Amino acid sequence: MIKSEFSTPQRQSKTGLLVLFANSLFEFMKAMWIVLIIFFLKGKATDIFWGIGIFVLVLLGFGVYSYLKYRTFTFYIDEEQNEFIVQHGILNKTKTVVQLHKIQQVNLKQNIIHRIVDVYQVNIDSAGSEEKEAVINAVSKEVAMALKSKLLDNERVEVIDNSVEVEREIEDKPFLKIDLISLLKVGITSNYAKSIGLLLTFFFTIYENLNHAGADELIDGSKVEDFIANYTAVYSVLVAILLLFTVIFIVNIVRTLVKYYGFKIAKQKGSLIMSYGLIATQSTILKPEKVQIVKITRNFFQKKLKILEISIKQTISDETKKDKAIIEIPGCNEIERDEILQLIFNEIPEKGEKLKPNFRKLLFSIFILIVLPLTAYLTIGNWFVNSIFEYKSIAVFYTVFIFIGLLFGFKNNSLHINDKHVIMQSGAWDIDNEIIKIEKIQAITTSQLFWHKSLNIGSLTIHTAGGNVNFQLGNFKKINQYVNLWLYQIEKKDSNWN
Amino acid sequence: MENFTNEPIDISALPRYEAVNLNALQSKYWNVILFNIVATFLIIGVVLAVIIYFVEEIHSIAWLFGLVYILFLGFTFLLCRISFKKRGFAFREHDVIYRSGILATNTMIIPYNRVQHVALHEGFISRYFDLAKVEIFTAGGDSSDVSIPGIKKEQAEDIKQLLMGKIQKQL
Repeated sequence: MIKSEFSTPQRQSKTGLLVLFANSLFEFMKAMWIVLIIFFLKGKATDIFWGIGIFVLVLLGFGVYSYLKYRTFTFYIDEEQNEFIVQHGILNKTKTVVQLHKIQQVNLKQNIIHRIVDVYQVNIDSAGSEEKEAVINAVSKEVAMALKSKLLDNERVEVIDNSVEVEREIEDKPFLKIDLISLLKVGITSNYAKSIGLLLTFFFTIYENLNHAGADELIDGSKVEDFIANYTAVYSVLVAILLLFTVIFIVNIVRTLVKYYGFKIAKQKGSLIMSYGLIATQSTILKPEKVQIVKITRNFFQKKLKILEISIKQTISDETKKDKAIIEIPGCNEIERDEILQLIFNEIPEKGEKLKPNFRKLLFSIFILIVLPLTAYLTIGNWFVNSIFEYKSIAVFYTVFIFIGLLFGFKNNSLHINDKHVIMQSGAWDIDNEIIKIEKIQAITTSQLFWHKSLNIGSLTIHTAGGNVNFQLGNFKKINQYVNLWLYQIEKKDSNWN
Repeated sequence: MENFTNEPIDISALPRYEAVNLNALQSKYWNVILFNIVATFLIIGVVLAVIIYFVEEIHSIAWLFGLVYILFLGFTFLLCRISFKKRGFAFREHDVIYRSGILATNTMIIPYNRVQHVALHEGFISRYFDLAKVEIFTAGGDSSDVSIPGIKKEQAEDIKQLLMGKIQKQL
C-alpha cells in the first residue's frame, strides 16, 4: 500500500487551538455560572477589580492547558496493522486504537466556533461499544476530507459490493435540511411546558444560591408590591402574563435554536444520519428496520404555520442508551414528513378504519379530574379550612381549563387500522399520531372491566420494543376481531422480528 | 412461487383468542397464596401489637386497630381468591395466552415468534408443593413479559421445552 500523509503521527490544525480553548472555557463557564452571577451581583467595586484579575489568570491557565492539549494530541494510520490510532493526554497518556475494517462511519461536524475558524471535528464510529469512538477536535477541511476518504477507502477495498460505493458518493448531500425559519416556527409553537419548567429551575437555582450567599437584600419584594399598588390589579396581572409569555417565547426560541441549529439528515448505507446543534453538535443514526413507533405531533398553531414534529422510537437494546433510542425531528413540512415515512415504512401509512372510544371514557376522566378534586375542595372548604374559598377563581379556572382539555382530548382520540399499520391519534392541544407497523408488535393485551362486559367496551394495549400504545374503551368486539387478525398476520410468518 | 396465492382473509373465520378454553392454575397454588397472606399479616400483626403495647395513649382504641386489621385481612383474602380464580393460561399452536385481573379481565397474548427467552422459577414455598412459575420474556420490556405461576413442576418443564423448541425453529 502507498504511504499516505497520515502514516506519521500528526497534530490538529493550528487554528483549531482556538476551538480547544473555547471548549474548555465553555465547560468552565457551564460549571461556574452560578458563582459568577452571584459574584457580579453582590461584589463591591474592589471585589470586581480582583475578580477581573482572577478571570484573566483563569483565561491564561486555560490557554496554557489548551496548548498542552494541542501539543500532546496526535493521530495516525498504522498501515501495517491497519489501525487508526489516536494518542492524547498531558500527564496520563491515552491511546485509542480503532481497527480500520471496524470503522462504520466517519462524521464531520462543525459547531459555531468551528465555523468561525473554519475547521472540522472528525468523529469516528466503530462497531462495538460506545467508548470505542475516536474524536479529533479540530482539523482543517482538507485534512478532514482526506482523512475521511482514507478511513472509508480502506474499508472499500474489502467491500466488493458496488452499490455501497455508489451510496457513499452521495452521502454528504443532506436530503433534508431544516432552515432557520422553520426552527423559529417550532420555537414559537411548542414545548411551552418544558420551557416553563426550565425557567422555574433556573430561578430557583439562582434564588437558592443567592440565599446561601446571604444576599437577601437583593431579592426585594417591595418593588413588586409598589408596582401592584400603583396600578390596578387587572393591569398588573396583564403585564405579568405578557411578561411571562415573552420570556417563555424567548427561552423557547433560544432553546430550539441552540439544540437544533443546522439540523440535517443524510442517507448512509440505508440508514439515516442526523446531525444538529449550535454549540455541541450531536449526531444520531436511525436504522429503518429498528424503528418501532413513529410519532407525528402537531398543534393548532403548527397546522396554520404548516410545520409538524416527528419523533421516532427505536428498539431499546440497552437501558443506558434509552435517550438515544428516541430521535426527534423538529419542524418539517408535510412533503418532508412523507419522504421520511416513505424511507421508514416504504410507503405512506394511510389511516384505515377508524375506532372511537365510548363516551364513558370522557365521563370517567371528568369524574377523576374534575368531580373528585372539586368534591375534595368543597368538603375541605366547608368543614375544615374555610380560608381556601378565597381561591375560588382558581378552582373555576381549573375546572373550565381541564374540561375543555378533556373535551378536545376525547374528540381527538381515535384508533386507525389498515392492512399493515395501526395509527393511534390522541392529545388535546398537541395532537399525536403514533404509527406502528403490525409486524413490530411484541405482544397484545386486552382489558375489560366486568361491568363493561354487557356494554361491549374494552381497552387495548399494543406492546412494542419501543414502548406501548394504549387505546381505551372502544368497541370490544371490533378490538378482538383486530387482535385476532394481527395475531394471524404476525404468526403466519416464520421469520423472527427484528 | 407457484404455490403463492393471495386470497382475501375471512376475518370471522380466524381463530378467536377470546374463545379459547383456558387452563386454571393448580389448586395447590392457593396454598402458596394463603401462606403468603398469613405470613405477611403475621408480621403486620406482631408489629401492631408491639406498638399498641408500648404506646399507652392508644390502649383505649386498641379494638379499632383490631377491627381494621381483621377487615383488611378479610378484604385481602377476598381479592386474592378472586384473582386466583380468574387467572388462566393456554398454549396455542402459535402463541401463549395469559388472563389475569380482579375488577378487569386482562388478557395478554404473546406470539411464539416474539419470545426471546423462557425461564423457570421455583419459589421457596412453591417447591414444597411441587409447583413452578414459567416466565416468558419478549423484547418489549417489562410490560410485555408474562409469568405464569402455579404450574406443576414437570408440566412447567414440558412447557419450557416446547417454547424453546418453537424459538429454535424460528431462528
